[in-house]
Amino acid sequence: MSRHLIFVLIALSVAIPLVIKIGLPNEVTSEVMRVYEEIDQLDSGSVVLISFDHEASSLPEVKPMAQAILHHCFAKKLKVIGLALLAEGTAIGDQILREVGNEYQANYGRDFVFLGFRPQYQAAILGMGEDIKRVFPQDYKNIPLSQIPMMRKIKTYEDISLIISVADGDMPVWWVDYAVSRYHRRLAVATTAVMATSFYPFLSSGQMVGLLGGLKGAAEYEMLIKKPGMGQRGMDAQSVCHLVIILLVVLGNVAYFLKGSSTVHSRQSTAKSF
Amino acid sequence: MQRGIPIIVCFVFGLFMLIQFFVPHRLSVSAYETVLDWMQIIFVFTLLVGAISYAKLNAKKVSRRESGWGYNVIGLAGLLVMVIMGLWMGTGEKTPFLWMFNNLQAPMQSTMFSLLAFFVASAAYRGFRARSWEAGLLLAVAIVVMLGRVPLGNLISHWIPDAANWILRTPSMAAKRGIYIGIGLGTISTSLRIILGIERTYLGGK
Repeated sequence: MSRHLIFVLIALSVAIPLVIKIGLPNEVTSEVMRVYEEIDQLDSGSVVLISFDHEASSLPEVKPMAQAILHHCFAKKLKVIGLALLAEGTAIGDQILREVGNEYQANYGRDFVFLGFRPQYQAAILGMGEDIKRVFPQDYKNIPLSQIPMMRKIKTYEDISLIISVADGDMPVWWVDYAVSRYHRRLAVATTAVMATSFYPFLSSGQMVGLLGGLKGAAEYEMLIKKPGMGQRGMDAQSVCHLVIILLVVLGNVAYFLKGSSTVHSRQSTAKSF
Repeated sequence: MQRGIPIIVCFVFGLFMLIQFFVPHRLSVSAYETVLDWMQIIFVFTLLVGAISYAKLNAKKVSRRESGWGYNVIGLAGLLVMVIMGLWMGTGEKTPFLWMFNNLQAPMQSTMFSLLAFFVASAAYRGFRARSWEAGLLLAVAIVVMLGRVPLGNLISHWIPDAANWILRTPSMAAKRGIYIGIGLGTISTSLRIILGIERTYLGGK
């Protein structure tokens, strides 16, 4: 089969379910349920820190997860602190936070705040355990934290109920190493599907309270908050795409074995003729 | 002297960061916070070094008209335009910087990332063959996980997502644990070698 035909098949298998809704039902896994329950049991006014630790390349996968979590946080009237430990997460985090916050009439500075980006993530994570204002003297809009009402009572991780790392790499491991191990904070992770398996050991050891893995995680969370979004739509596309890849693999193997048996058959015929 | 000073600095700060973890005294905490501030300051300068190095490398290729120099011009233009726009008009809402990020950088990077789907499909069709018992097992596991991680698997049978979750939570996790333990031990030994000045490759040269 030509490579171009494979590319066309994959393009169609992704594009068609995104245009025509199939609506395949999702099952909620325990790791996603644990994130939901962790946020759901927080009292109104509790503080959640969301770190946008990803690049723009993984935006289609991480954005639905971040949006679903933020919908839940704002619906529960939690205070949200956003920040980014990778430069590209800055603009993305700021926009997602504002978009979802506006849907719930949340006020900037009272209900949520975006602190912006800090380089050298190890130092930033450790530093916030000692004094958040020392790491982020100002927010993303250059307003001193002392002038932001919500931040007046928030000094260190002690004042934060839950940390959520929305990541596309191994940044959650640094959060485990420094914020969880040293400051005993609770950490939930939303990461790309390809990275999700890397974090299962931390999940089983209790160093992560829960995990959202890729579009599947987003789709499951959207089900839990009863707010369908790009996660559920994306899972239809992913289902069809996976099916096409499996069929291609099966087809490739059938061709391989048929070719193998015909080669053996022709060798036997040649041997007989001698 | 040129190598001696960095080795002494590394030894002193490495040892300090190790010891201060167990010393909650005010002085220790204050010194620790100062070190964290300095780590961030130094890192910002390394970013600057990276940007200058990128600009120099690309400018050299353009000046020599090396093969594909047009791409280097685009790379340099992108760097300059983003920096100028960011410094001049800011990076917040309704700024040219944010517009370029949303409409140029993010779609381009997402496109590059999504090309993986095409290459994975093509590579799977060409290379994923059950040539041996082990390859057959790998193939079967891959199919179960691929089906089990999408709603389609559950539609066929609930055994498929159950099996996929078992694979991820048991054998896959055991392998990951082993890798992490190995990485942890390796990190400790390499850190000790650097602090004690045995490992010196980070200084460059032989």
